[in-house]
Amino acid sequence: MSTELLPRKQALLFAAPAFIAILPFLAACFFILRFSLSSEQGTIEGLSIQAYRDLMTPFFGRSVWLTLKLAFVATLIVMVLAVPLAFVMTSLRSSFFRRLLTISILLPLILNLLVQAYGWILLLGPSGVLNSTLKAMGIIERPLFLLFNETGVLLGLVQTSLPLAVFPIVGAVRAISPEYLEAASSLGAGHWRTFRDVTVPLLRPGLVGAASIVFAFNASAFAIPLLLGGRRVQMMGLVIRDMISPLFNWSGAAAAGMILIALTIFVLAASSWLVRLTTTTKETR
Amino acid sequence: MVTNTHLNIEAVSKSFGPVTALTQIDLKIERGSFVCLLGPSGCGKTTLLRIIAGFEKPTKGRLLLDGADISDIPPHKRGFGMVFQSLALFPHMSVAQNIAYGLKLRKASAKEQRERVEELLTVIELPDIADRAVSALSGGQRQRVAIARALAIKPKLFLLDEPLSALDAKLRDNMQIELRRLQQKFGVTTVLVTHDQTEAMMLADELVVLDHGKVQQAATPTSVYRQPANSLVADFIGAANLVRTRVGENGRLVLFGNTVEMAVDHDPGTAVNVAVRAENISLRSAQADQEAAGRVVFARDLGAFKEWLVSFEDQEIRVRGSASDEIEFQVGDLVTLTVDPARISVFAAS
Repeated sequence: MSTELLPRKQALLFAAPAFIAILPFLAACFFILRFSLSSEQGTIEGLSIQAYRDLMTPFFGRSVWLTLKLAFVATLIVMVLAVPLAFVMTSLRSSFFRRLLTISILLPLILNLLVQAYGWILLLGPSGVLNSTLKAMGIIERPLFLLFNETGVLLGLVQTSLPLAVFPIVGAVRAISPEYLEAASSLGAGHWRTFRDVTVPLLRPGLVGAASIVFAFNASAFAIPLLLGGRRVQMMGLVIRDMISPLFNWSGAAAAGMILIALTIFVLAASSWLVRLTTTTKETR
Repeated sequence: MVTNTHLNIEAVSKSFGPVTALTQIDLKIERGSFVCLLGPSGCGKTTLLRIIAGFEKPTKGRLLLDGADISDIPPHKRGFGMVFQSLALFPHMSVAQNIAYGLKLRKASAKEQRERVEELLTVIELPDIADRAVSALSGGQRQRVAIARALAIKPKLFLLDEPLSALDAKLRDNMQIELRRLQQKFGVTTVLVTHDQTEAMMLADELVVLDHGKVQQAATPTSVYRQPANSLVADFIGAANLVRTRVGENGRLVLFGNTVEMAVDHDPGTAVNVAVRAENISLRSAQADQEAAGRVVFARDLGAFKEWLVSFEDQEIRVRGSASDEIEFQVGDLVTLTVDPARISVFAAS
């Protein structure tokens, strides 16, 4: 009876190029895993956990902590910004304003990260627009340091990952039938109560999905901490690069990379497990 | 005058931008009655129900509940139970949580909630499904749960928006009986929207036929069926034929080539529409040279009754006969058509 969109055999055939494209990536991952277990820093040789052991330093620990902290805080801020934005987008009646808003939100995805980072530097840098204006107005004497510190990196992470959250949430909001909200209303729930009891629970899978994408994107950020952190904000992406480029410590970089991947997967798995736990406890007996 | 009006809809009009959905709706809904809003799609029936529920604001006019103006009261403060077309059972809540939600909002104690849920599940004859997820229910079960959820809050009005349209014919028939039984048990004033005239006839104490955003007729199902107020109603209710004809020079109606012995309120010679139901026409075999004969162009036996389409002049007339009729008419047979004057309605041709 059921008619598939595309019979599986054909689908597999058409997906073959995608599998071929994914394969080198998987191979690279495997290669990095193997390198991280090398006993030599520059070549794959022997089997040892020396590279991991070498990472157990306060410096690397601080970097892990900083990475998780910044990714987490940025995700939190992004979600707080993205949810109302998504509601505004779904409520806009005029197709002109909807497109305008879509393009403005989408722009960071289209624009090169370098361009965006330099934009921030021009705006907020020590001799940027903001500081020169404030100086000219006599409000400050010495420039405010908004960049090349954690604040700057956070700003950059939030700005670049916002669109990644908005569009999945828009999809989730659109998927909620207005009849659910009206049903809650007819049973006596005001706007706020309906939002809390119906909208948020129905949105939850979409929200978790969006937050997961944003978190993974931010935890692995490289360009933003490099450009807006000015080397002072040592997120793991930067640390890994420094191990490779000036230090030629390939096995150390590989091990750090594996740790980053493992941590990200762990956080995402834990969050989706938490969601499942909180949504199904009351339904199953 | 003793009035038992529960909801009074006064001169309600509604337009959406340039589109007029409802024009000057005046309706009095009796306490404890079952009212069906019936009409073709786009007639404004759902808009009227949504205005009653408070989801739409009337452009003009007002609603009085027990004499008090409720036009400006938001839906969540009206205390009306509503069953939606999609049912809108909350997928993230169990059956019991769905039914208890309105009670929870009314700050009923856990014990009260549990008892009321139990009571309602017994009434809808599904006592064992309290802890089930909504997604684990069949279509008919969901229907009953949605009804139970709306009735749990002891609503002042019980509103239903085509709730049975998604069910198959047999289940729908059962649910209609069930719904009527529940409504009588709780004695709640009920307004149901439907486009299905059989459903409306089966359920309603009062039938409100809407078309083009206006009330075309509001009366008991029987009188709407027997005495349709105008040709729109006649056309919509039942398998009625609308026959274009004229009033003869003697002031008598001419129908199917014969003069019908009934007085009509129209001047001799004027064109009129006559509504006559398929089952109120009888066929007789005609001779080849007989004037005023029609020709059978379609015949079918539906078991419970037989049906023919007869081509008469330039119109096709639907005729229904009981299954026990001895006479068989085949396609191509010449027939004469006769009607019982008591069973026809005459309207001025528009």
